[in-house]
Amino acid sequence: MANVSTAHAEYQQENHKPEMAISARNINVVYATPTGKIPAVRNVNIDLPKGSITGIIGESGSGKSTLIMAIMNAVTKPGKIESGSVILNSKNDLLKLSSEQQRKIRGKEIGFVFQAAQNSLNPLRRVGQQILDLGRSHDVKDLRGLIKYAKELLARLGLDADRVLASYQHELSGGMRQRVGIMFALVLKANIIFLDESTTALDMLSQAAVLEIIRELQKEKNLTIALVSHDIGVVADLSERIEIFYAGEIVEEGKTSKVLSDPGHPYTKGLIQAIPRISGDIDAAEPLKGSSPDFKTYQQPGCLFYDRCPIRTDACRESRPELESIGKDHKVSCFRVGADDRN
Amino acid sequence: MIEIKNLEKTFYIKASFSNRKTVQAVRHVSFSIPSGGAISLIGESGCGKTTIGRMLCGMETPTSGSIIIDGQDLSTLKRKERNRLLQKIQLIHQDPYQALNPTHTIQQMLAATLKKMARQKKKGPEWVRQRMDELLRLVGLDPETILFKYPHMLSGGQRQRVIIARALTVEPDLLIADEVVSMIDVSLRLGILKLLRDLRENYNISILFITHDIASARYLGSNTELYVLYKGMIVEKGYTEQIIRQPHHPYTQALLSAMPILNGIEKPGKDRFVLTSQFKQSDTDPSGCLFADRCPFSQPSCSEKRPELVQDGDSYHACFFPEVRNVAAESV
Repeated sequence: MANVSTAHAEYQQENHKPEMAISARNINVVYATPTGKIPAVRNVNIDLPKGSITGIIGESGSGKSTLIMAIMNAVTKPGKIESGSVILNSKNDLLKLSSEQQRKIRGKEIGFVFQAAQNSLNPLRRVGQQILDLGRSHDVKDLRGLIKYAKELLARLGLDADRVLASYQHELSGGMRQRVGIMFALVLKANIIFLDESTTALDMLSQAAVLEIIRELQKEKNLTIALVSHDIGVVADLSERIEIFYAGEIVEEGKTSKVLSDPGHPYTKGLIQAIPRISGDIDAAEPLKGSSPDFKTYQQPGCLFYDRCPIRTDACRESRPELESIGKDHKVSCFRVGADDRN
Repeated sequence: MIEIKNLEKTFYIKASFSNRKTVQAVRHVSFSIPSGGAISLIGESGCGKTTIGRMLCGMETPTSGSIIIDGQDLSTLKRKERNRLLQKIQLIHQDPYQALNPTHTIQQMLAATLKKMARQKKKGPEWVRQRMDELLRLVGLDPETILFKYPHMLSGGQRQRVIIARALTVEPDLLIADEVVSMIDVSLRLGILKLLRDLRENYNISILFITHDIASARYLGSNTELYVLYKGMIVEKGYTEQIIRQPHHPYTQALLSAMPILNGIEKPGKDRFVLTSQFKQSDTDPSGCLFADRCPFSQPSCSEKRPELVQDGDSYHACFFPEVRNVAAESV
């Protein structure tokens, strides 16, 4: 019987693609500047399968936050979404809805936790009052129930719920604010959560605790999570699939363990080598060459990683590689996949 | 050689008109940094590691204990003499975005102190220019492109390098690096850590490395000593690699367990545990072990008496029930 069910599960995995909570296609975002348009996000396709954690890794300036904002249709000027579609739960295209419909979806279906939770809380109102504000703006009838659920979540996050609801944001520590931010993202029972550098400002112990809580809540409520960070460690710990983002494009994607153990793109390899790790040979660690992508990087015609790449050839300068499959569920955009970079 | 003996710091917080609350930020901390040596202080936010750094560079006065620089006790010196000694200790802040004056170019910033140094050394403007180039090259920046830029034109990593160059203008003996890499992208951290190690090994500058991330402490060189702080008290000390492999104190183990696992190239240690309880600054000082209320392995006797830092074989720790646990991630 057990064999039959595993066989069935395998069959399902192979023949039925998992349902997508969010399916973004051909997203293009440009920033208009006096010197011309800068393509901040170029032809990005990204899928968030229901009930899974997807990690998005990129350096500062790689456009990862712009991508998330584009998925939420919240890109601010001078940025502009030029084309693309974001299908939510195989139904609505987020980019085509009216702003009122979008407002309703944000919060109720999509939750968002920002990097600096202290900047997303109102300093003049107590946390409890802000939950009520949120409830009213989303036409929640049962406000008492909302507060009750918020208390439940806060307790779940390891906080003293009554104290937190009666506090202003300055009375909470960094770790507590971040947990309050997660509570706000979940309180309207959103199923899709974006975490944009949500643990970056925390110290190791609070970070580990917050990650553990996210992991538990995800399992319990079958949430779909997109985890955005520059810290490959955090992403690798939590997510099933990762997308490596560089200068506005996805350069590698696949299962986390596969991408980390057998990276295809020289950028991914460099990133993995460049992180201070607790295990492994210290001398094997090598800082990533060059500097983070800037506006000039975005405008070059060839491969975006050209100026930092250890295995570049002349062809890389002239044309840009496309994302191509190099194995099961593993895509890389590089002309020189498999080339030896040890010279 | 910089020595710290029994350093203590108590902060007084006015809670209301009648009672005063005290927070014991640093308790009986002693260590010495030989010239060209390095020490890392590890602990979570609020453990007193920054306070130690601030006391060392004269921004905070110790409640008791002494700071001895080259055999001279700071507290016994006259102000002028003390300031001269303190110049040998330079602090590098965590936030490279706030530590630079946005209205000054890098050249103006470095020239300000270098001109003063030139007067002391009786050197001309030519020396200032040379020294500026030399220092920027030393920290891995190209003087020609960087000198006339303003801070907003630089990335976080570049700013941190400029700040290190600025600290080096006064030719310090000790750099206090307070969370210098935590605001910088992970991909650029190693570059800064390598620079600090290079300064140590080639220019004999000592480093006091303050961090919450044990992994980055590994990259300062193999003979770096690690001090684990909890609520202002040293709970474990030893060489970095040794502590990572054989942590005795449960708090050290919690810190090591908190490191994210790189699935695919690392596997978690078999005894890994995650501490979900939060750090609380208690109003009253417990009589027992400071970590007892959060410790997953605490025994009833732990909250009766406080353990002291004792030597146990070749390790030092403050725990009544020490046990080596295998918590750090391992390479696959």
